Formats: sequence, structure tokens, C-alpha cells
Amino acid sequence: MAELGQRALAGVGLDELIAEAASCAARELGTDFASVVELTGDGRGLIVRAGYGLPEGVVGGVLSTRREELPGYALDHEGPVIVDDFATETRFAASPMQRDLGVVSALVVQIRASGRQFGGIGVHSRSAQQFSGEDAHFLQALANVIGAAAERVRHEEAMRDSEARFRELADTTPALMWMTDPEGDVTFVNEGWLRFTGRELSEDVGDTFGMSAHPEDRDDLLMRWRDAFARRTEFRFEYRLMHRSGDYRWVLEVGLPRFAGGEFVGYVGTATDIHERKQMEDALRRSEASFRDLTDTAPVMIWTTDEHGMVTFVNAGWLAYTGRTLEEELGPSWTLGVHPEDAPTVVAEFQRVLERRDVWDREFRQRAKSGEYRWIAERGVPRFEDGRFVGYVGTAIDIHERKLMEGRLREVYEREHTIAETLQRSLLPERLPRIEGLEIAARYLPAGRGAAVGGDWYDALERPDGRVALVVGDVVGHGLRAAAIMGQLRNAFRAYGLAEDSPAEVMAKVNRLVMSGEEDAMATVLYLVLDRESGEVRFASAGHPPPLVLAADGVHFLEGGRSVPIGAIDLGVFREASATLGRDASLLLYTDGLVERRDEPLEQRLEALADAADRAEGGLEGLCDAVLAGVIGESSPSDDVALLAVRPRPVASESIRFTLPAEPESLQGLRRRLARFLHAAGADEAERYEITLTVCEAAGNAIEHAYGPGDATFDVEASFDADELVATVSDRGHWRERRGAHRGRGLTIIEGLMDEVEVSTEPGGTVVRMRRRLGSTRAA
Amino acid sequence: MSTLAQIEVERRGGTVVAGLSGEVDMTNSARVREQLLAAVPNDVLALVVDLEGCRYLDSAAIEVVFDLARRLGRRRQELRLVVPDSSPLGRVLVLTDVNSVAPVHATLESALAQ
Repeated sequence: MAELGQRALAGVGLDELIAEAASCAARELGTDFASVVELTGDGRGLIVRAGYGLPEGVVGGVLSTRREELPGYALDHEGPVIVDDFATETRFAASPMQRDLGVVSALVVQIRASGRQFGGIGVHSRSAQQFSGEDAHFLQALANVIGAAAERVRHEEAMRDSEARFRELADTTPALMWMTDPEGDVTFVNEGWLRFTGRELSEDVGDTFGMSAHPEDRDDLLMRWRDAFARRTEFRFEYRLMHRSGDYRWVLEVGLPRFAGGEFVGYVGTATDIHERKQMEDALRRSEASFRDLTDTAPVMIWTTDEHGMVTFVNAGWLAYTGRTLEEELGPSWTLGVHPEDAPTVVAEFQRVLERRDVWDREFRQRAKSGEYRWIAERGVPRFEDGRFVGYVGTAIDIHERKLMEGRLREVYEREHTIAETLQRSLLPERLPRIEGLEIAARYLPAGRGAAVGGDWYDALERPDGRVALVVGDVVGHGLRAAAIMGQLRNAFRAYGLAEDSPAEVMAKVNRLVMSGEEDAMATVLYLVLDRESGEVRFASAGHPPPLVLAADGVHFLEGGRSVPIGAIDLGVFREASATLGRDASLLLYTDGLVERRDEPLEQRLEALADAADRAEGGLEGLCDAVLAGVIGESSPSDDVALLAVRPRPVASESIRFTLPAEPESLQGLRRRLARFLHAAGADEAERYEITLTVCEAAGNAIEHAYGPGDATFDVEASFDADELVATVSDRGHWRERRGAHRGRGLTIIEGLMDEVEVSTEPGGTVVRMRRRLGSTRAA
Repeated sequence: MSTLAQIEVERRGGTVVAGLSGEVDMTNSARVREQLLAAVPNDVLALVVDLEGCRYLDSAAIEVVFDLARRLGRRRQELRLVVPDSSPLGRVLVLTDVNSVAPVHATLESALAQ
């Protein structure tokens, strides 16, 4: 399942993934058939995209969306549709496919992609089968994986389209455009650029940035470019670029970072010829006369105003652009042709600039001759005669294509952000696991709009030895890729966390896994194992900030156990440290986003965190709220924040006793509780395993011989008689050794591992009493 | 969703090595058996199940070992187990006489060397 999720994000083909999901569903839920259907383009049919166990010819066929049949019904139905038996089903009939196959029971859930109907996934059985809520939950998780993959495919198609549209646009626009790869090498320049420079495409592609810049401008240009590039911010610079004629012309270059799949993929930029404008300004500075000569032959738009801001002159270029006459343009014509949405602010701003004699520099929409509103950039400088302000002289250039492209890039970027956030949320545990003897609270706060989602996560799981493992981590990077890596790491910590006792060893194993992978992944992680009874914690920190302890005598950080981040060094050496929590102490784990801020040293932020935690009231939930309010405040954080707060509630350890439903699913919980009890009593790993196994074997008999499914229960009791464990399993049926080929093996285990076993049949049922002395194997 | 047991399969020449970690009990033993069987193509000589990361096996899981040995035996394929000395499983495997159908090795190297 988790693996399927990874593959969904990693770019495995949708068809392949859907087929895998179908067989995974049938296999895990133990059904004869499984199918995945997708709504056809016209929304009138459901095409069978993949199947498991289905006869030839069914896949590729189309089912009806009629609500009277299961597929159509499920399409409209939020939440799982469970059919115990079609013979008694009244809501709808089976589909013809299900009838032909002789399906008796079925379970179907919806698949949604990008918030819209995609189709459904269903499992079907020939024999009567009762599907549980857990089954439905599992199937829904598969459906979500398919939905996410379908979303990714749609997104990629949209990206491809927008890239293709960009190139098309780029080649038809008179502007000069370029693109770079993530290393900063130029991968594309448009026709306009080649026309300008008079060079061949092959000459301008590669490590060519700034190559054709005027030698006097080049160093500044490269410095600005490197600086913007390193920070992935907008780049804007005016410099002289070599023209095909051999002369240099002034251009304004604007570059924007591009992202795809959450990943930085390079810059896209435009260069606008501003040579005339520059010359105008220079000319003006030199003399009014030469200005007049130049203006009407210049292709740029030029205007002048008097000291009150009234327009006194516009050149031929401006008139050609707006399609109006000189008479219309002169005087208080400021708002003429300005887009109604932009006009109020443009006018107000110009008034402000005019009063202060500032430089006027603004982008807004202006109606062109064709009637279309186009983006222009205006720039005006105050003119003085004999020290007296006489008005402005300004230029305007058409920047419409550049503006459109910026808008499109922003759109792509925001859509991307939404997808990544959805995926990340789908990878976080929907609700925290309920762990006996442990209070838990958690928060996840995504970064503010405009920033990419990070790869933060938290997790809590109960280990086979009864201790609890807690994880908080932060994947370096943002967007879809970080979310995918986060999912992989979460699973790796789950798997190794169950198998390995030592936190440092868990870190080392996950590190090895990450280093052997193809992806360059790096993460800071805090992994901690907590013994609820003794309060002992062992933890390892891979470049992660220290957890906070809230005890009766105040708050402090758990220092030590620090090493490099996961994925940093091939043979990373990981350390661990231990500490003991006092009674009623709580632990707070968190990610960087909470305490890292560019403008403040980390120590100060940690102090703010400790203060906020110290003042918190209202249990763990109150603690989480108080920490977020005190450290982050009202504003949304600049990076994602994950918080995990826990407080152990020790239980009496002299004896335990509980009643459980007679179902195989009870066994896992029984093992955890016994292991916890035995761990607290000082049993070693082999003893814990052997004793829980024996008790569970006896419980297994009780489960097999329960009267009816669902309503039967069994009791387990365990206590110590000095150093001797006494365990009792009692049920309400008759003791029989289990049937099947492994007949006798269960009893062999029970008798072989316990010092004493006594089975008695009593009026109410069967009681198995077992005794075992701790330390006997060690002594032997 | 079962996170109880994980299986990682790797082919090494004529042998398939399956690392079985986590816990196997009566709720997931059938699934584990199916996945292990599916991991063994006809052309390999042996399946080595590495139990180093395994923390719990019950009688249903041990039954899977016997069943696997029987099925592989019919195809003239061998089943070997890797159980380190530090594993808690050792005593139970001895009690149930697993060694009679699948030789138990302390290290993967020794299981592969055979």
C-alpha cells in the first residue's frame, strides 16, 4: 500500500498503477475479483480500466452509470458501499458483469481526483463475505492513491501544455526570451533573441549567461544574477547587450524562477529593448533640443507633462499605440485609456509622486488601438529648469507578453502548491493512533500562501516490546518531491522502528536506505523511544532541534544524541542519548518551522518556545495551542510546522486483567499489553516473546472455538507470584486443540515454553492456567 | 492496512532471499505465505527466508514454514531460514522442530554458502 503510494508519486504510469491497485485490493481483502472503473469523458459510462481475476474481455468494457445498479449507485454515494449479499440487497441490483460472475458480496468506494469524480474501485466475492470498516478504510486508501496519481498525470499534462504554449508564445512575441535549467545553463532562447543578437541557437545555449553583455556591465550583471539565482527570487537588471549590428543596446532583463513538481527547474526570462528610453533620458539630461529631435523618430512611447501634471506632449509612437489624436491626449488626460481597475490607484499614485517630485515608475493596463487592454510599463523623471520643477518627461513600453507569462507561471505554481499540500495531508496519519497509557496531541500547520509545502511529518507507534516510538521529521526541500520523500521516510521509520531497539541503529538503517536510493533526499529527524512505565526515553537526533520536557519543576530541552541529518553522509555515525522523565512529565517534539526564523537567532526562538510551554494550561491540547500562539503568533508561518505532544500515564504493574472480543484481531493488542506488562516486570526480549506467544496460543484456541462470530469474548489475566508469572486464559467454549495440519503444534509450544500448564474444563467454559519463572532461561 | 510484517525480496543468483521483518500471526500468515510463494519463480534452487528483523511468529506462522517447505520440495526447491543467535525466536523453532524441514542458519552468509 505504502509502496503503491510512493509509486503513484514517483511517476509510474497510471495504467500500471491502477492494475496493481486492483490486484492489491483483491489480495489484501481476500476476494475473487477486483475492478477499477473510470467515468468516460462524456460522463455517461464507466469504463473498466483494470481488473483482478476477471475473465478476458471485461477490462475495456463499459458499465452503465444507472443508479439502479451498484456501479452507478456507488458513483453517487459518498463513503463505502458494502453489499453483504446481493440476494437481499434492496438499494440497487448487481451490474451485468457481477451477475455473470456470480458475485455475492461486494465493497465499492469512490475515486476522486482534483476534487472531481474519477470513478470507483471495488472488490467482489463469489462467496458471502462480510466487509468491515477497516476493509472499507483500506480500499478508500487505495482509491486515494489512484486519485493522487490521476491528479499527478493531469497536472503533468497541464505542465506539458503550458510549456508548449510558452514556447509557442515565446517564438511569436517580439520580446527577447530565454530559459535556463536548474544549474543556470541557458537551454532555450526564442526567435526574438536570435534576431536581436544575430547569432545561432547553438551559440547562445549552454553556460552562456551574460556572455553578450557589455564588458562594463558584465560583472554587475553576473553578480546580481547569481544572487537572485541562489535565492530563487525575481531577477531584474538593466544592462547593455550586444546587438547583431555590433553595437550595444540597453535592455531590461527580468527573470523568474520556474517550478515543476515542486522542484526548481530553472529560470525563464525576458529582455526588453529600452535603448531609446535610456537615450531619451540621457538626451534630456544633456539638452532639450536634441530631445525634441529624437522623440518623434523613436519607436518607444514618450510623453511630457507640465508642473501640474497636465500632459503637454506625446510622440508619434504613443499615438500609434493608443490610436488617439494628439488633441485627445493633451491636458488632464491622465486616466484616458487606463484600465478602470487600475485607474484609481494609478492616478492617486501619480499625484503623490508629483507632489514629491519623485521618479514615476509603474506598470498598468492601457487600452491599445485594437481596443484590447495591454500591460505597459511607464517611467518618468522630473525635469528642472534653472532649479525650478517644470514637469515630467516619461517613456512607456509594452510589457504585455511578459506580464501574461508571469501570470501563467504564478498559476502553475499555485496549482502545484495545492496538489502538494493535499498529498502531504494524505500521507500524515489522519488521526493519531490510540495508544493505551499515552495521551497524544498533534498539530500540523502548513506554511503561508505563496510558499511551497514542506515535507514535515510526525508519527507514533507501539513497539512489540511495549515501548512507544515517536518520530518528528522535516525533509529538506519543498513541494511534491518533498512530500513523496516524506512518505518514504515515514514508512522506513515505521518498519525499522518496529524491528530495531536502538534509536541510533534505526537512524543508521534509514540512512543506509536513503543513501542507497536514487533520489537525493535529506531530512532532519528526531526519533525517540519512550517507556511509559519507567519514563525512560532513548533518543537520537539527526540534525533536528531538541525535544522539550515539561516536568513539575519546569521545562528543559533534552540535549545530546545529536548527529548529522539523514541522507547527508554515506556512513553516517548516529548517536543516541537517554533520560528519565519524572512523574506526570510531558514531551513536546516539533519541526524547524516552529523555531527557525531568518531575523532571529535560534537560541532566542528556543527560549520563546520554552516560555510559551511553561505558561501553557489545559493539558496537551492547550500546550499545542499555547506554543503555536506564543511562538508563531497570528501570522502564518514561513515554513511548515509539525508538533507532537505526549504524556505517559503509567498503569499498575503487579497484575493486569482484561476481556477481549474472540477475534484474531484482538491478538495484536493483547501482545502489546502483555509485552508492556512484562517489560515493566523486567522480562528480557526472549521471555517477553515466549510468554506472549504462549498466552496468545491459548487465546487463539479460545478464538477458534468461540460460539458465534462477534459476540463472544475471552478473559486474560496475568500477575506475578514472586518472580513467577501466572497467566490465565478463560473462554466460554470447550477446549479443543486446533484443527488442520498444524494440529498439536500450538500445544507443543504452550507446554514447551511454560513451566506448568493446566487445562480445566469448567461449567462456564475452559480455563488454561500457565506458570513460568522469569530468569530461568538466563540461569540455565 | 497491514503494517505487521514486511517482506523484501532480492534475487541472488540461483537463490531468492526474502527478508521477513515485523510480526506474523494468524491474522496475516496466509498473506505472508502467498507473498513468499509468489517471490519464488520456477528457475531458482532455493528460498532463504531471513528472519533477522522478525520479532514474533506464532504457530500459524510456523505452519507456513512447514507448508512452504512442502510446496517448494515438490518443485525440488529448498527452503532455508536465517535466525541469528540473538533472535528471540530460537527456542520456539527448536521446540517445533522446524529444522527437520528447513535448515536454520545463524547468518545469511552461511545460508547462502550451502
